[in-house]
Amino acid sequence: MKGLVVQGVSKSYGTIKALDRLELNVDAAEFMAVMGPSGCGKTTLLLVILGVLKPDEGHIWIDGNDVDELPLDKRNIGYVPQDFGLFPHLDVYENVAFGLRVRKHPEARIRDRAEELLVIVDLEGMEGRKPKELSAGQKQRVALARALATNPPVLLLDEPLSSIDEATKAEVRANLKEIQKRSKVTTLCVTHNPEDSFQLGERIAIMYSGKIIQCDTPQGILDSPKTDLVRKLVAPMYILWNQRGPL
Amino acid sequence: MTRDRFELAIIVLASALIIYMLVSILYLYIAVGERWSSVVNALFDSRVLGAIAISISSALIVGALAIAAAIPSAYLLAYKSFRGKGALETFLIDLPQTFPPVTEGLVYLLMFGRVGLAYTYAAVIIAKFYVSAPFAISFATRRFREIRESGLDVIARTLGAGTRHVLGRILLPLSSRDLLAGFSLTWARAMGELAATLVFAGAIPWRTEAIPTLVYLTAAEMPEVAIAASVIAETLSIVALLSFRWIARRRS
Repeated sequence: MKGLVVQGVSKSYGTIKALDRLELNVDAAEFMAVMGPSGCGKTTLLLVILGVLKPDEGHIWIDGNDVDELPLDKRNIGYVPQDFGLFPHLDVYENVAFGLRVRKHPEARIRDRAEELLVIVDLEGMEGRKPKELSAGQKQRVALARALATNPPVLLLDEPLSSIDEATKAEVRANLKEIQKRSKVTTLCVTHNPEDSFQLGERIAIMYSGKIIQCDTPQGILDSPKTDLVRKLVAPMYILWNQRGPL
Repeated sequence: MTRDRFELAIIVLASALIIYMLVSILYLYIAVGERWSSVVNALFDSRVLGAIAISISSALIVGALAIAAAIPSAYLLAYKSFRGKGALETFLIDLPQTFPPVTEGLVYLLMFGRVGLAYTYAAVIIAKFYVSAPFAISFATRRFREIRESGLDVIARTLGAGTRHVLGRILLPLSSRDLLAGFSLTWARAMGELAATLVFAGAIPWRTEAIPTLVYLTAAEMPEVAIAASVIAETLSIVALLSFRWIARRRS
């Protein structure tokens, strides 16, 4: 089965259960937003999928393969952290080329792929810039290009819009969605922001206390929230979504 | 008003310390001025030249070895969790800086004396390394920890980088200034090390006699030789530290 499957995953820190037999299926090429308040276990979920943390129980499947035993450098998961994590000593081109270089792709292939990605993320002509010379939106696009360079089957985004200022947020959000659509990569994005999750996610998984308590389309969640808690978490969207609608 | 007076008192105290430190360094040059011609003659004394050669070469070798040792140790301390890590860090970094160097020289004499290493050039390196290398190790460890906190190594790994690439493409390039700073302090400390070197390596001119040992042995009998050697050592240290600072600032 294509896509990402999180099957019965638990992870505890001492007595605190960060993930509690969590189940989540992200279909191939789908954009899934995981939304929940701070401390609900979103970051732990990302770290377990990435392979930074080992779950206490459960399995992670990517495109039908159990990746539990693979170290993080062998999982080939695209990852864009909250602060974008660009390598400060490398220019835009070398950041994008990083994954291809360490995988020893031939130079011509690296150049073609990097150039292709820089077109996709609309950063042609900026190859030689250092990260500190870029705006937050540009940094995010470099991080996306870098994460997508090795054609990962899964892309993980950690609070992708939290470092973007309000004035450019709508544009960056649209861009992000467009790039995801064009690359057709299975995407899981965690955010605490209801609006971001509603605008980005084809489906939204509402997370609370280490569990997914409801997973549905934005409209589905608004129409029939499973619990009062879900209704409370997505409350701002009853006005915003009905006013503005999807992107 | 009261607060301003208090601040003034702090500035006066700080100034007193600064003057004390500067005078301690600069008084040597005043001493040179008093005995100008005999000190200049002593500068070309074969024993002084030998000590300069031994000091500079051994300190450079110690600096290079310390960097080579600092990289794996810093990786271990920054990235691996194991029992007794705190104690290990104390043994690697804090203890050598506080342990009496003369005792360390004695330990090496007992340990390596019977295999013929005592009173050799290698003994100079071994003695200076123990006391000086912690500077390089602590600088590298602190920087590797900062990089780990930033998560850049995790991102590199998600992109397929193994430990070799994480080290070669992320940790080392991002630590170059800190490694340079570690090297320079290690070098300066190695230049000044006396007790461990004297006990374990002795003071054989052109073989194991470094500037501090020469100064120690000649201070009472031939002060002009001691002053000549000291002024060379001090000038070299000041110039080297200032140059390293300048290079580090340019790189940033």
